[in-house]
Amino acid sequence: MELFNNLIFGFAVALSWQNLLYCMIGVSVGTLIGVLPGIGPLATIAMLLPITFNVAPVGALIMLAGIYYGAQYGGSTTAILVNLPGETSAVVTCIDGYQMARQGRAGPALAIAAIGSFFAGTVGTLLIAVAGPPLAELALKFGAPEYFSLMLMGLVAAAVLAQGDMIKSLAMVAMGLLLGIVGTDVNTGVQRFSFGITELSDGIGFIVVAVGVFAVGEIVANLGDPEERRVFTEKVNNLMPSWNDLKQSIMPIIRGTAIGSFFGVLPGTGPAIASFASYMVEKKVAKDPSRFGKGAIEGVAGPESANNADAQCKFIPMLTLGLPASGVMALMLGALTIQGIQPGPDVMTTRPELFWGLIASMWIGNALLVVLNLPMIGIWVKLLKVPYRLLFPAIMAFSAVGIYSVNTSSFEIYLTALFGVIGFIWIKLGCSPAPMLLGFVLGPMMEEHLRRAMLMSKGDPSVFVTRPISLGFMIVTALILVVMIAPAVRRRRVDIAG
Amino acid sequence: MLTKRSLLLTAAGLLVALTTSVAAQSDYPNRPVRLIIPFPPGGSNDVVGRVIAQHLGEALGKQVIVDNRSGAGGVVGTEVAAHAQPDGYTILGISLAHAVNPWLYKLPYDPIKAFAPVGIMGKGPVVLSVHPGLPVHSVKELLALAKQKPGDLQYASAGVGSFQHLSAELFKLTAGVDILHVPFKGGGPAMIDVMGGHTKVMFSSLVQTTPNIKSGKLRALGVGSTERSKILPDIPTIAEAGVPGYASENWWGIVAPAGTPAPIIAKLHEALTKAQASPEAQKYFDTEGATIVSMSSEEFGRFMVSEMNKWEQVVKKGGIKAE
Amino acid sequence: MQFEFRNNRDVWAGAMLIATGAVAIFMARNYAMGTTLRMGPGYFPTVLGGLLIVAGLYLAVMGLRRNEKIGGSWSLRALIILPLSLVLFGLLMEHAGFIPALLVLTFGSTIATTESRPLEAMLLSVGLTAFCVALFIYGLGLPYPLLASW
Repeated sequence: MELFNNLIFGFAVALSWQNLLYCMIGVSVGTLIGVLPGIGPLATIAMLLPITFNVAPVGALIMLAGIYYGAQYGGSTTAILVNLPGETSAVVTCIDGYQMARQGRAGPALAIAAIGSFFAGTVGTLLIAVAGPPLAELALKFGAPEYFSLMLMGLVAAAVLAQGDMIKSLAMVAMGLLLGIVGTDVNTGVQRFSFGITELSDGIGFIVVAVGVFAVGEIVANLGDPEERRVFTEKVNNLMPSWNDLKQSIMPIIRGTAIGSFFGVLPGTGPAIASFASYMVEKKVAKDPSRFGKGAIEGVAGPESANNADAQCKFIPMLTLGLPASGVMALMLGALTIQGIQPGPDVMTTRPELFWGLIASMWIGNALLVVLNLPMIGIWVKLLKVPYRLLFPAIMAFSAVGIYSVNTSSFEIYLTALFGVIGFIWIKLGCSPAPMLLGFVLGPMMEEHLRRAMLMSKGDPSVFVTRPISLGFMIVTALILVVMIAPAVRRRRVDIAG
Repeated sequence: MLTKRSLLLTAAGLLVALTTSVAAQSDYPNRPVRLIIPFPPGGSNDVVGRVIAQHLGEALGKQVIVDNRSGAGGVVGTEVAAHAQPDGYTILGISLAHAVNPWLYKLPYDPIKAFAPVGIMGKGPVVLSVHPGLPVHSVKELLALAKQKPGDLQYASAGVGSFQHLSAELFKLTAGVDILHVPFKGGGPAMIDVMGGHTKVMFSSLVQTTPNIKSGKLRALGVGSTERSKILPDIPTIAEAGVPGYASENWWGIVAPAGTPAPIIAKLHEALTKAQASPEAQKYFDTEGATIVSMSSEEFGRFMVSEMNKWEQVVKKGGIKAE
Repeated sequence: MQFEFRNNRDVWAGAMLIATGAVAIFMARNYAMGTTLRMGPGYFPTVLGGLLIVAGLYLAVMGLRRNEKIGGSWSLRALIILPLSLVLFGLLMEHAGFIPALLVLTFGSTIATTESRPLEAMLLSVGLTAFCVALFIYGLGLPYPLLASW
């Protein structure tokens, strides 16, 4: 009952006309920057920070939060329409969302992304309200061994991502792991594979690789095969998902939300991991996994829900422990500190209007985003009717400016060009870039946690099985391996017998 | 046609350069000033820089734009500033890292000679804290435990060469104990690990740590400043608690490329003083447990040199390497 | 046989993996290996390089048996012009400003396709550049000079 009263109080705060206006501004700006690659919530919130000096703390936080989750909505739009991941987390959406668009189903893909995100946002918001502090406690149970076991599980499951040749996909994962190593080694400070280039000392940016291999690589491939592209622009069917689409998406949305909430609470997992996890789960449980990569709506519904739940739940460690799980959260923390507020375990009692007002505004923001996004679909889909020769220069321009803005660095542009060429060659050689990106995200973290775990245990590998949570992940990993290898072994037996 | 245009452009450029160099000092600034922050958005360097930039702009009468150029522990952005025009339109926000990097990296610039000091913004101490499950309640008890089992205790830091890492190494050197370094990617993950009880000891900036000390999730043993902190008055300084002579404070300051005319430096210093007095800056530094410090430009220059000498010892004796 | 080898998809994929793996191992020889219990910075790259080589060999052999061809055209024009315009964009951003950089990039992009029409290409690049200036510089307030560097 107390919760109910608190929520009412929160809505009263969030529904004041100023705060509603801040929320509206926040989500609109967020959607815009979400659509643009490279320019993300981090840079935008940093630029807007001084403006918040003169705004009440609640309003400031509501606006900044709106930018953050608005960007999650916007990021999927370009991923679906033109294979351009607007935000890191939208990379997974490129895989099936773009294929749906090519089949003239951009409308349903965009709609299901918005609906899934809204559902996940609602659940995520409720989770913060109901179980914020205990969930944060749970997150503290994760040390280096737990993170390593969790990521190992993810890596083994990555084989599911395979389209066609399993060995090829696994080799691409290894390729990603290797690319992820570039930069300064966390444990020793040694530079690896940086070729003496200072810009590489912090590693290769995820968005550089993603835009390079997906967007630029795809453009080059499209320009080589104009035939295939024409089919794509002429066939645009219904805008809204059919009843059947919705039925197919319900379970993926629920599962994606659960997965995203889990990863969101854990501060040590980066973006995109939740979306990848959801995608792999959907492909594994699907009756016909071969549809994935060819425009399966579950491959959009699940990951889109997961990344929004992840984004919402990232607030939990920030609000309840005062710990930023990402750069964006660090900036929000900074914004609050400037106002003289220090988030932490007691913020719920000392500043209830802030805590509950923010929570209510998150839900309102998510609702606003659906209302904003659904009517936009018609306009977005019309964009696909623009002849490709006019459309792709715009994609190039937005990608270039966006990537340049991440670090004000031309070097990143050169890298993008390089990855464009590499990505195109991969497409030609039948090596799909998605497993590579998963390896790229997981690699550095896996190595970091493995070596840290070994350092802390003084080289005793039994830490991975003596700690209960880690042991649990290890068992699941073993089970996945068995499930994966068993059919292959059986098949071989049959082959030999036959 | 191309040559004609480029010729015109060069001529125009020369004209602008001529007029500006004459008029520069009297009507400075007549366009926005760029403040390079050599770290990504979100960190303490960035937030301090942004708070100050806003008010610096108001005091100068022209906007001050923050330009994040992160990479290699601040070396990338610092290099950009070192090679920028010394006209007062490019300035650099630095921190303790500026005095540490010369001993960690091969720098493509001279950290002292390439810059003209403008002024310091503030200082923030380190705080030594432990997981509450560790049976130590004071610095002395921690030293006793560390001496009992050398190398058994572990401390978490924000990374190799970070302020947290150096503060801990200084502690080990001064007190003569052995505690194993476990580096993390940033202060946040390190703190989460200590709060979860995986690593037990941490040196961290007071900034991030205060709320969790107040809530009892971490037990503070001492602060690294020379005087007790206003926001944690019950916590002794590390020096008074058993490690005499220990002091470790992060600091933030502003420099300009060497060769920037003195009148412009003076104008910037004056604006910085005004910015420091703004309520946002006061509030931010207070909440963070940091203090606003004033120094003349010359004092700040000498301070930078002394900091470099101090940390050179720690880096060399502690055997810290980043390359 | 020689001809078939030249566009055998999996043989080339295998060759690429082997080359990458070899480079990784070659470069990682400078990094300390450590032991399995105390891994040095060279441990992971070396293991990964080895895995890539093994996978590459497997793919190359399978490729010779399956003999799948590389499909579609190589679109050499786009493959050269698009990355080149990106590189020019990067250079011009550093030395000439936002407007020239974008003009070159968008014009370069428009002529990357064989269907491009000169007049349309020019109009499009001017239009896109103007749009980007409005959006990024005035709308989002990115601090880049429109012409010449700071």
